[in-house]
Amino acid sequence: MKKSKTIELVLITAALAACNDPKKPEWNDNNKVHLRSDTTAPYTRAHSNYSSGIGTALILYYAFRPMGNFRNGRYQSAGYYSGGIAKGSNIGRNSFKGSVARGGFGRSGYSVSS
Amino acid sequence: MKRVSIEARNNWQASVEKLGFGFHTSDMPYWDETVYYQFDLSEIDAIEKATLTLWDMCLEAVQHVIDNKRYQQFAIPQSFIPLIEKSWDQDHPAIYGRFDLCIKNNEIKLLEFNADTPTSLYEAGIVQWFWLKDFDTDKDQFNSIQEKLIAYWTYLKRFLHTETLHVTCLKDSLEDLTNAEYMRDCAIQAGLKTKLIFIDDIGWDEESKQFVDLESEPIQNIFKLYPWEWMVNEEFGQNILKAANDPYWIEPAWKMILSNKAILPILWELYPNHPLLLPTYFEAGKLKDYVKKPFLSREGANILIVKNNKTLEQTNGEYGREGFIYQELFTLPNFEGNYPVIGSWIIGQEAAGIGIREANNLITDNKSRFVPHLIIQTNPTHPHKYLSEK
Repeated sequence: MKKSKTIELVLITAALAACNDPKKPEWNDNNKVHLRSDTTAPYTRAHSNYSSGIGTALILYYAFRPMGNFRNGRYQSAGYYSGGIAKGSNIGRNSFKGSVARGGFGRSGYSVSS
Repeated sequence: MKRVSIEARNNWQASVEKLGFGFHTSDMPYWDETVYYQFDLSEIDAIEKATLTLWDMCLEAVQHVIDNKRYQQFAIPQSFIPLIEKSWDQDHPAIYGRFDLCIKNNEIKLLEFNADTPTSLYEAGIVQWFWLKDFDTDKDQFNSIQEKLIAYWTYLKRFLHTETLHVTCLKDSLEDLTNAEYMRDCAIQAGLKTKLIFIDDIGWDEESKQFVDLESEPIQNIFKLYPWEWMVNEEFGQNILKAANDPYWIEPAWKMILSNKAILPILWELYPNHPLLLPTYFEAGKLKDYVKKPFLSREGANILIVKNNKTLEQTNGEYGREGFIYQELFTLPNFEGNYPVIGSWIIGQEAAGIGIREANNLITDNKSRFVPHLIIQTNPTHPHKYLSEK
């Protein structure tokens, strides 16, 4: 009556297993990392969270995700975006990125754990 | 309800990591399989029945709050009241919640309701289930979380604006990501097209007045593991009220009422002396032994327990500016210094299973452990009190 029959996961196992890396990153404060996502934007130094965090999930955090839009059935690239670097390094002079404001949510806490 | 100590599986860490459960240990173990809780079927039936009853009462309480405009008692920003009412009147999609229950002396009492961003869904739905498969395949577990999530997303699909569901959570927390990805997994299995976007990657297009993802696709339906009380107090959240495409936020805005502990005195007012409720008030001084809780707090922060005018336990934190409620003290059962809280899941309109958090204190905080459970098939000589009274 209470028992589950067959449990299948299509997504989570592969995706999240990659995030679990108990080894601490070996970076230290002496490694100064400067990043930008838009070739028209200036480089800025990645903030201190770069040297701590949750193992390889950092790759997710700093990943540069493609941005763009679909118009008349065609994809138009607007470059890349990363939430892990300074706002100025994301936008540059790209007009599409400039019309969309990001980074507004997410400032109230680090986890919603309840 | 019985606590049983056992040997953990050999290399249990590898077993749970294979499932994608990466936050099993922080400074101390979070997943603890050196112990489990054993229930008999009548206890599980009572929990199931209590969960359904509480859900019905909560829905009545939301209607009451809306009808009587009692928003001020919840410290909900005035500007968001029309959205709350609209989401309620139009029955915007909602999927889940977790009642935190105390079970002791054959009684079940509601401690609080995590109605907006409940976590430990993955531990309850997946990790403890696979533990049971390894531990004792003949035993049962109160756990149909996975099936009910898939079934309810399948049901909700026809009511969504489009078949694309965005799923969002904070970027820095593997626990949050795991819960959000699990929800997305279930939505995919229900046939929805899904996209993960971290909460701070969500864009606001001022020209079209829409929230957009990183491909500038307008967000029409979004499951958010990010609390309403944070969204409404962030400047960016004011755009929610301007969104031209009227997206579905899941959980919907009316959950702001249920996820606020101000709902507890309202429930007591509407259902005085109900066996599932504890006397709870907005005012101090009506109770001798009580727990003072902020309207909005997480992981046991800013809780004060008073007995015989003396502080029994207290936690610090950053919550409480919105206000407090005072709930009669009903201490958690003590199993040799271990205090379990039962998290009972409501998915759609059905009770779907339980997860247990165990702490070394009366206050279940962020150091508490998740422990599995199982059901034994016996016919108890003393039926559960709540069950027998119904």
